[in-house]
Order: sequence, then C-alpha cells, then structure tokens
Amino acid sequence: MTASIESDIIDLVAGLDPESLLALLRRQRPDALRHTEGSYHALLHPADPGGVTAAERAAIARRVAELNRDVALTGHYAAKAADDAEPGRLSVILSHVDLLTREPKAASPTDLDALRAAGLTDRDIVTVSQLVAFINHQVRLLAGLRLLGAAP
Amino acid sequence: MTARTIDFTIDALGWKPWITPVDYDAATPDQIKALSGLPSKLRTLPYSLVLAHDPEALAERVPLFNTIMSAPGGLPIAERELATLVESVANGCVYCASVHGRRFADLTGEGQVIQNIYDEGFDTPLDSRRRAIVDFAVKLSATPPNAGPEDIAALSEAGLDELEILDLIQSVAMFAWANRLMLTLGEPVPVAVAD
Repeated sequence: MTASIESDIIDLVAGLDPESLLALLRRQRPDALRHTEGSYHALLHPADPGGVTAAERAAIARRVAELNRDVALTGHYAAKAADDAEPGRLSVILSHVDLLTREPKAASPTDLDALRAAGLTDRDIVTVSQLVAFINHQVRLLAGLRLLGAAP
Repeated sequence: MTARTIDFTIDALGWKPWITPVDYDAATPDQIKALSGLPSKLRTLPYSLVLAHDPEALAERVPLFNTIMSAPGGLPIAERELATLVESVANGCVYCASVHGRRFADLTGEGQVIQNIYDEGFDTPLDSRRRAIVDFAVKLSATPPNAGPEDIAALSEAGLDELEILDLIQSVAMFAWANRLMLTLGEPVPVAVAD
C-alpha cells in the first residue's frame, strides 16, 4: 500500500479529493490511472515533441474540450494556451480537430493532405490524431465520473 | 469522399492506412519498445505501425487499452466488448465493430445479439442489464456526451456495482479514442488479415 495518495489531472479537473470514495474507487484500477496520466504527459508535455508545438497542443486540447462543452476541462487547457501558434497552420489543424471530434466517420485521405500542405509530417499527423482522440477520452471519463460521483 | 461501402459485420476485416506505416525492421528502439506491449501478432499490423510514428504516446496507450479491456474483476469482459461495439456502431467505425462484435460473440456464443443491433438499431430488445449498458454507451459516446443521472440509476437497478460502472465508463472513454484513430488514419478493407 502506498503511504500517500496523489491527485492526477482527472482528479484535479473533476475537483475530486484524492481520498474521496470516488477517487479511491479509481485507485482500484491503478494501471488505468497511471497510463491515463502517462498519456496526458506524453501528449501535452512530451519529452520529444516532434513538429507539434506546446502552444498547438494546448490549442487542440482546448478546442476538443470546448466542442464537448466541458467547462472545467476547457478552462484547464485555456490556462495552458499561448498565442505563439502560427495562425494559418493552426486554423488548418483546428479544422481537422473539429472533424475528428464531431464526425470522424466523414474523414478521408484528402483531409490528411490538407495537414501535409500546412507542413505537418506523417508523425505530426499521428500526434495530432492521438491528441484529439485522447481529449475525447478525457471528456467521457470526466463526464462519467461526475455522474457516478453525484449518484446517491 | 471515401466510399465506406463495407457494411457492419462480425467477420474479420483488414484496415488500410492513409499514412505510410513505420517499417518494423527499421524502427527505432523507442518504437520497438512501444510496440512490445502488444501481442506479437499485432505488432506488425499497419494500424500499430502507423501509431508507432509517435512512440511516446503509443507506449502509454497500449497498456491503458490492455488494462481497460481486460483487467480482472469488475465488469465482465463480454460487457466491455458490448459497450465498445455499441459505441463503434454509433461512431460509424465498421472495423472496430467487427473486432469487438466478434469478441462478444466468441465470449458469449450470442452473435445474434450483435446482428440484431446491426439490423434493428440500438432499440432492439435486450435484457435489462444489457439495455442499461447499451443506452449508457450510446449517450456517453455522443459529442457532447449526454448521459444523465437516470442512466447511472438504470445501471445500478440492473445490478451493476460501482466498480463495474467505472469499468464501463473507462471502456466507453477508451473507444472515444480508438474509434477516432481507426476512422481517420485509414479505412476498413474486405480482407481477413487482422484480428
């Protein structure tokens, strides 16, 4: 047993006390907790960011949270947002973020060509896709936990 | 426009990437390490090798997926598969549905349940436990999610305890991720090469 229980990003955004019943329930799945947190760091603060900047990553995450109307998560990423992303390139990326979040089944190879034309490499496209998909995961984990925490 | 002409099925499908996969024989140590969390037959699939372009993200995603879909106790594995099948249908991921519909069928011997969902939609008759799971999965997977307290109440009344509901939430959250990758980095193809 660990002597202390630390909050992860999900606890923080959900406003969960790490010793609350719901936070303790999450700790019955320690591997899920650890790799959800690990995914957050790998996608928002990677050791090797490749061609996708920290400002772009924060802007992408914020957009996904906004599209899903998650106020707390939007606030979390808005606080990280910087205005040093290149606007033309960012606007192409955010169009792709909207597609992946709202209607992923409508995606086609030409959507990836638009990203390539904006200067993204294949690796960058995979990173952007992973990040968008991961924030959509976070949104649903948070939504489910809030409902479970509010249940009588 | 892509012609997604393949119907929902529980038969095996292939998946054709829109991005050149990493060459496994030329992969970096970080890429090999990230792929090593997968069963050996999955390491060289095009999907795995496309994700290997970002090894740091893949190295976390693989063990997360594994624990959410197969950790012992809590929600029975077949019900995790049912929830992710339903979400895959809702999101239009024919490839994901084929894999997880097939796993549900293999685990339960009730492939007809999946076929009924394909043919009749989510309103197809189900027992109360499956009904509650399906309804919750559809609502939590929507953008934005629209599950409510009544859905948690229905799960509890159907007999799910808190750990089972947590497992269900985590399964649906995982496939909000998986469906989006499969749908936007490639497409299903009608060859039986993938698990």
